[in-house]
Amino acid sequence: MLAIPVLLGILFITFILNRLIPGDPCRAMLGEKATDEVCDAFFKRYGLDQPPVIQFGYYLGRVVTGDLGDSMRFGRPVTDMLMERLPVTIELALLSLLVATVVGVILGVIAAYWQNSPIDVFTMIFANLGVSIPVFVLGLLSAYLFAVVLKETPIALPPSGRLTAGVRVEPIAVVWGQETLAGPLRGFLDFLSQMYVINGALTLNWKLFSDAARHLVLPVLVLSTIPMSVIARMTRSSLLEVMTLDYMRTARAKGLNERSVVFRHAMRNALLPVVTVVGLSLGGLLSGAVLTETIFGLTGVGRTMFDAISSRDYGVIQGFTLVIAFTYVVVNLLVDISYAVLDPRIRLG
Amino acid sequence: MSATAATASASVEPIFNTKPRGLWSTAFRRLFRRRSAIIGMIILAALILVALFAPVLATHDPVKSLIGIENVQKRQGPCIHWLGCPADQPQHYFGLDGNVRDLYSRILFGARLSLLVGIVSVGFAIVIGAFLGAISGYVGGWTDNLIMGLMDIMLAFPSLILAIAIVTVLGPGLINTLLAIGIVSIPIYARIMRSSVLAIKQQDYVMADRSIGVPTRRILFGNILPNALTPLIVQGTLGIAVAILDAAALSFLGLGAQPPTPEWGSMIGQERNQVFTAPHLIIFPGIALILTVLGFNLLGDGLRDALDVRQRS
Repeated sequence: MLAIPVLLGILFITFILNRLIPGDPCRAMLGEKATDEVCDAFFKRYGLDQPPVIQFGYYLGRVVTGDLGDSMRFGRPVTDMLMERLPVTIELALLSLLVATVVGVILGVIAAYWQNSPIDVFTMIFANLGVSIPVFVLGLLSAYLFAVVLKETPIALPPSGRLTAGVRVEPIAVVWGQETLAGPLRGFLDFLSQMYVINGALTLNWKLFSDAARHLVLPVLVLSTIPMSVIARMTRSSLLEVMTLDYMRTARAKGLNERSVVFRHAMRNALLPVVTVVGLSLGGLLSGAVLTETIFGLTGVGRTMFDAISSRDYGVIQGFTLVIAFTYVVVNLLVDISYAVLDPRIRLG
Repeated sequence: MSATAATASASVEPIFNTKPRGLWSTAFRRLFRRRSAIIGMIILAALILVALFAPVLATHDPVKSLIGIENVQKRQGPCIHWLGCPADQPQHYFGLDGNVRDLYSRILFGARLSLLVGIVSVGFAIVIGAFLGAISGYVGGWTDNLIMGLMDIMLAFPSLILAIAIVTVLGPGLINTLLAIGIVSIPIYARIMRSSVLAIKQQDYVMADRSIGVPTRRILFGNILPNALTPLIVQGTLGIAVAILDAAALSFLGLGAQPPTPEWGSMIGQERNQVFTAPHLIIFPGIALILTVLGFNLLGDGLRDALDVRQRS
């Protein structure tokens, strides 16, 4: 339950940072020529004429009731913007995490299994380079490689955007003939609709699915490289450590074949620290999302945050930061819980 | 008491005449046995030399445009005479950038900034973080809860987003980037220091010192800090790699070093839309960044093995 004070602290820090951002939000939004009367009305409308303490109190009250305020720049509720842009980032981050985990664990196991062989050395060189390449360098260079160098080949990939012009997206609810549906279920379906790959899969729209997937290959590749390298290294060292334990000798001594020694006995213990790394990678993924979304022209949470900070859009900064930090806290909680599920020493100890 | 100790040691014959090796000399020997650590050290040594001798090695002024001085085009590719570039064309090892400046010279000078950013911001974070962690671990109670609570909150933000927010508050620029990255990295060091302090606090020799009334400050700096140093050094070396990456990312986004400063991240950021027509403007600063970060990562990993620091964070 430590999560709640942490969340309150996050709200508080975001609020303070917002107020410290130099510059006048009114003139940032309405232009340099806005008169004082116009600005007074603007401040009144967004509650900025109140003392900061009261502003914070109002803000807390609204957040608890699920109202994250309005974007001053776009004049629409922050929750609407979240519903529209969060799916982009979730789709990107989850796919990246999936790719990073699957490929990372496989590479780590291969490297540990054939320790010190050329394949181990190669994998570890790859992993060391992977954590050392800046996301934006990898992004730009892969865009150049797949969009320019390989232009006329079948593996050419689009360097930006989410869909090719002309590919249409329709809300899942509409395709399923449920236009009249309302309430939370409709909201959830609309949220899913923004994840084009899932939308394409659910509505059996192959064209949408494949086009969205093709656009996601490069961003996912770029975003997954760092966590993939970290996971591969962690899996390798953890597996090597477990392999030296006494019970491994017992398992071999009782005549088990090498495959079940590694996969049934060693892997279970070796994957525990990997779970932590996977959970912790999320923070890095969200940081990376700012850069990845900027390079590949995706309007997700990262890009929106960056824009909001540079245009002093308080409501958006607060709302989006809250959601990001909240996600992070929840994921860490889930990692702790999964530890207890995976490790009887913690569950029963 | 010291007199008795002296006579006692004088009367005892040493069994072995070889002096036991200290922690550092053992660590160095282990470090030099690891291939990857040696590669890391070679990269970093080269980098430091480049940073020191940048004015000697550079062929051109890093911030001066060559418009009207040489007959060259902007964003022209590399021209190296002994690789077949015609001798009547001016030589530029890495080509020219969008403002017709010599990229090779800019990259050399960029090494100075990256090293500076990495070392200063991590140094800042270690000093503040170790201080906070030491207080937190040693004093305990409410102070501990308050400091560590604050650290937990900072860790709940993705580091780059928090750094962006801080730079926005302070205003863009190299110094503020340094500060922002330093602030964002404080929690890691505070946590490491705190757990070291908690572990060492229970040791008998600390208890002994406390019972004979050694002042707290001397216990912290004399007994606890030296023992907590190794994990800080390892994390610090790896932290420099992260700091350089984050600083480059901020500059790439236009919040860090401002033009015409030859900073690698900002050089890439300025030319990012030209990647399809002039990829050399991304590739060369990119390689410089990768090598630098790789050097610190390899050295950090090597140090961790050599100093036998076991930690998970």
